[in-house]
Amino acid sequence: MNAAIVERLGAVTAGIVVAVVSFYSLYKDWHATGVENNVFKLMLFLLGVGAILALLAGLTVIGYAG
Amino acid sequence: MAVAALPHDAHGEVDQLYLETRELRLQGFLLFLISDCVLFSSFIFAYLYMRNSGQGWPPPGIHRLDVAFAAWNSVVLFGSGATMHYALENFKHGHWMRYMWFLLATIVLGVGFLGGQGYEYTHLIYGEHVTWAGSGIFGASFFTLTGMHGFHVFIGVCYLTTLVLQSAAGVYTRGKYFGITAGTLYWHFVDVIWVVLFSIFYLI
Repeated sequence: MNAAIVERLGAVTAGIVVAVVSFYSLYKDWHATGVENNVFKLMLFLLGVGAILALLAGLTVIGYAG
Repeated sequence: MAVAALPHDAHGEVDQLYLETRELRLQGFLLFLISDCVLFSSFIFAYLYMRNSGQGWPPPGIHRLDVAFAAWNSVVLFGSGATMHYALENFKHGHWMRYMWFLLATIVLGVGFLGGQGYEYTHLIYGEHVTWAGSGIFGASFFTLTGMHGFHVFIGVCYLTTLVLQSAAGVYTRGKYFGITAGTLYWHFVDVIWVVLFSIFYLI
């Protein structure tokens, strides 16, 4: 199997896992208050967005497909 | 605040100094992260400005970056953000062994990301002949920004390794763990910066 396909499969699989974990953690911590927790919520959201971007890049939906 | 929730030292006494300075430390650490954000932002906007004022991107003679590998390496780093979050959560809930395992997993993933970046650099420098000084704006901006980020990841790995050693030595307790909180904030910050770098170098 082509190395690029393996990398893309890894990116898609791990991207799904990381996105689910991030958004689930965000959901669980949603009602937490305080500066610290709000910063964590923002960062978890951005982490989930990053995982989705990597997942879409793995699927060649975004980014260079070569 | 209930007395039971207050941090105690080894003799069971409330650590007043910790309570009085915790908020200040948090604010100081957040200011540090914001200043780091400004540093990255200035480089990122300089890169975007130069990229949009040139004749096409990437410049003639340079191939596009390998998105497949970068996507894989990115989820390695993003995965480390998730494990770090769970490390902190487990520490807060008193699951010490789980905390240690998640912390170690974060370190391993962080080192894995650095290894991936090293592989990519090697491929670019020796395979594509793209260098920091010899490939114009593209090489200079790519190696400066990703190198600066990689340095932050390296510092983060050192920080987390220190946390492992300190935790094993019993430095942190359930009520007194600002070092772990700061480590988690820093690691998330490094992840978030990579979301931006991954987008601007590989996706657009």
